[in-house]
Amino acid sequence: MSGIASKIQHQRALAAGVGSNYNAVKYLGQDFEALRQQCLQSGKLFCDDTFPAHPTVLGFRELAPNSSKTRGVTWKRPTELTSSPQFIVGGATRTDICQGALGDCWLLAAIASLTLNEEILARVVPHGQSFQDNYAGIFHFQFWQFGEWVEVVIDDRLPVKDGELVFVHSAQGNEFWSALLEKAYAKLNGCYEALSGGTTTEGFEDFTGGIAEVYELRRPHPQLFKIISKALQTGSLLGCSIDITSSAETEAVTSQKLVKGHAYSLTGAEEVDYRGRPEKLIRIRNPWGQVEWTGPWSDNSREWSQISAGEKSRLSNKSEDGEFWMSFNDFLRHYSRVEICNLTPDALTSDRFKKWDLSRFEGNWRRGSTAGGCRNYPTTFWTNPQYVIKLDEADDDPDDNEVGCSFLVGLIQKNRRRQRKMGEDMHTIGFAIYEIPKECIGQKVVHLNKDFFSRNQSKARSETFINLREVCNRFKLPPGEYLVVPSTFEPNKDADFCLRVFAEKHAETIEMDDKIDAKLDETKITEADIDAKFRGLFNQLAGEDSEISAFELRTILNKVVSKRTDVKTDGFSLDTCRNMVNLLDQDGSAKLGLVEFKILWTKIDRYLNIFRKLDVDRSGTMSSHEMRVAIEEAGFSLNNALLQSIVARYSDQDLTIDFDNFVGCLIRLESMFRIFKTLSKDQNGEVQFTLKQWLNITML
Amino acid sequence: QFIPSQPPPPRRPTVFAEQNESSEEQQFRKLFQQLAGDDMEVSPAELMNIMNRIVSRHPDLKTDGFSIENCRSMVAVMDSDSTGKLGFHEFKYLWNNIKKWQGVYKAYDADRSGTISATELPGAFKAAGFPLNDALYQMIIRRYSDEGGNMDFDNYIGCLVRLDAMCRAFQTLDKDQDGTIKVNIQEWLQLTMYS
Repeated sequence: MSGIASKIQHQRALAAGVGSNYNAVKYLGQDFEALRQQCLQSGKLFCDDTFPAHPTVLGFRELAPNSSKTRGVTWKRPTELTSSPQFIVGGATRTDICQGALGDCWLLAAIASLTLNEEILARVVPHGQSFQDNYAGIFHFQFWQFGEWVEVVIDDRLPVKDGELVFVHSAQGNEFWSALLEKAYAKLNGCYEALSGGTTTEGFEDFTGGIAEVYELRRPHPQLFKIISKALQTGSLLGCSIDITSSAETEAVTSQKLVKGHAYSLTGAEEVDYRGRPEKLIRIRNPWGQVEWTGPWSDNSREWSQISAGEKSRLSNKSEDGEFWMSFNDFLRHYSRVEICNLTPDALTSDRFKKWDLSRFEGNWRRGSTAGGCRNYPTTFWTNPQYVIKLDEADDDPDDNEVGCSFLVGLIQKNRRRQRKMGEDMHTIGFAIYEIPKECIGQKVVHLNKDFFSRNQSKARSETFINLREVCNRFKLPPGEYLVVPSTFEPNKDADFCLRVFAEKHAETIEMDDKIDAKLDETKITEADIDAKFRGLFNQLAGEDSEISAFELRTILNKVVSKRTDVKTDGFSLDTCRNMVNLLDQDGSAKLGLVEFKILWTKIDRYLNIFRKLDVDRSGTMSSHEMRVAIEEAGFSLNNALLQSIVARYSDQDLTIDFDNFVGCLIRLESMFRIFKTLSKDQNGEVQFTLKQWLNITML
Repeated sequence: QFIPSQPPPPRRPTVFAEQNESSEEQQFRKLFQQLAGDDMEVSPAELMNIMNRIVSRHPDLKTDGFSIENCRSMVAVMDSDSTGKLGFHEFKYLWNNIKKWQGVYKAYDADRSGTISATELPGAFKAAGFPLNDALYQMIIRRYSDEGGNMDFDNYIGCLVRLDAMCRAFQTLDKDQDGTIKVNIQEWLQLTMYS
């Protein structure tokens, strides 16, 4: 409950490398090594209180406690299920993953693809875990969650019914890494049933931190076979599926034994010489570990006798293991969709793979300040966070003769607030891309304003605005500089997001945000500058002690504003007046003397003029989205994060800022800049505080 | 013009957290739902209504009412994601503190005046968990008490909420626990403007 400080501390930790695969965030603060050590010393097997062996962690609807599916479920450790349980036998293989009573084939397809790449698997399933050495009933896994790697610790009690694992299990029955991985992922998502029904791309991204693309096969991309082969070569993970037209069709099996509404892994793409002409083949795996395609090129089909013995022995596969080949044409005809997960450079240490250039940004949309909505809302669209991509190298082997730079833009909405706000749905999100005009290239970093967007058309945009976790699209644009503007569809929707740009060649991406700065007015006012009229007014207001207290100030200010019809205010509160007095009071008397009062009066007068100038519709209040302009007018330059804080603090529920809040905000802002300037002595632009110094300033 | 696509069906469960709560937490959640309204978050205006309803039932707590400014400030110092509202856990924390500090207020109002005087204040703040030095107590009295040095209930709560939040902010940022923190201009403005 330390407010904004906890956010700042989190940002500091991220900057220090926490959240990378090598230094993952510890989920629920659980430290695997420390917990294992404790268990080994006490001689007790680990029991995880945060994800207990209890019916509630199974599910809430079909798998709810006392439902037919969960009745009779007990929890057993692998050591109680088999005499010699193994974590991994002979490396993780695709046959280690067979689906249980849960509709999480999408997840299993993603796990199966994972086993094709040892390095990628090791990032999710850390080495050094077994049922023999240092076994304490505790295991750990790492997942990528919205830009950060998270380490999840579990105990090895698994749900069992009639002596069999209820969920994922290996074909051999004595290998447990896949079942434990599923449990860890269920813990991260709240319960097992939470894993039911999803997209393979989500699983792909959570296991790799990569960025996923989806290709619809109804109108296949002309270069799709090339894209698939290239993706397999670059270590990408691939999945495919067949659409259903109604929920009754889920997992329906066609006459040729293809399963509808089911997630398959795509594991190979080859071209063979068949009857004197090239034939494109695709290898697919059913995560059930069985039920294979029976058409042309299936196991033991006669097509295999028509190709050379060498190619046959290289490719052929006769066992019922869920994996099969089919021709690319049949594939396009039968399947609906291919999902490709491109991996980040840090996932690919091998030189064998071509690496992408990656940039990643964390951002937020906030009601009234940076949640501008899409460009259908021109008055607020420009207030969204903005990012610039500099593309300077064209692709090596263009599919057509057009020179261009290929890149992917992925926008993920984070669901951090899931715990906080129950039942919150996804927002409808998307992005637009603008070309930055030649004359603006290389300019100092500034947030582009409303004029820019009213004068310029977008160059490209996300295919759609949709309420999915992620919107991702591939673009090819000529070298140059481009502005990406991510947004929610409607303005004023609070959400956090992560924006990623993957480029085939070198590309630089930077956030367009204003620098934090203030032009502080340094004109000194002395008693000599104050005319007799003001002096007379002051004496009249101040009374006998010749000083103005917060109480007197409130009376004065409210008397003045109540006479004005051009500014709206619900009156200056005592707190605001106290703030003003404290910030301007230089002698510690908690009251304002003549000069101090004159300074305050001059400021308020200046702010009144700005307020009236910007209140174009003469409503007497200011819209919170115009605050960026007003603050600039007053001599300050603030970035997105600060504007968000200010709007959250000073705007009314209808997202307007009235006059007293406007003045209170600007006076505080100026004072805080001045205090920082006074205290900042070191070259790093940092100020150091002890607790006493800290409270002395922040309690004012 | 952009046209949004058809939404896919919602997937993630939200009932799970509720099922894992103790009965006391469930009761508080019911209360919270009533107070927070449909969006399940407490805005400064909602907080003001709640606080003023509480004090109206306690004539022994002297107050001229919680102002919207005071409530905005309380929400700001506790809110970690600058949405301007308090979620369930933040509000629960605030609620428990207010209950505790209300007890302290009554216990330390020795002369039954309904306010905490300058002499009663150090004892009350110590009991509330904030042993400070005299200079800080003097500053707090100047800032939060009336002209006679008496602190009424709304100022008392506003002050303690802020003091608690600022101490926590310091602890959070003092990662190496050496008793000092360093902040840059952005952090400084975020911490002080959003308070």
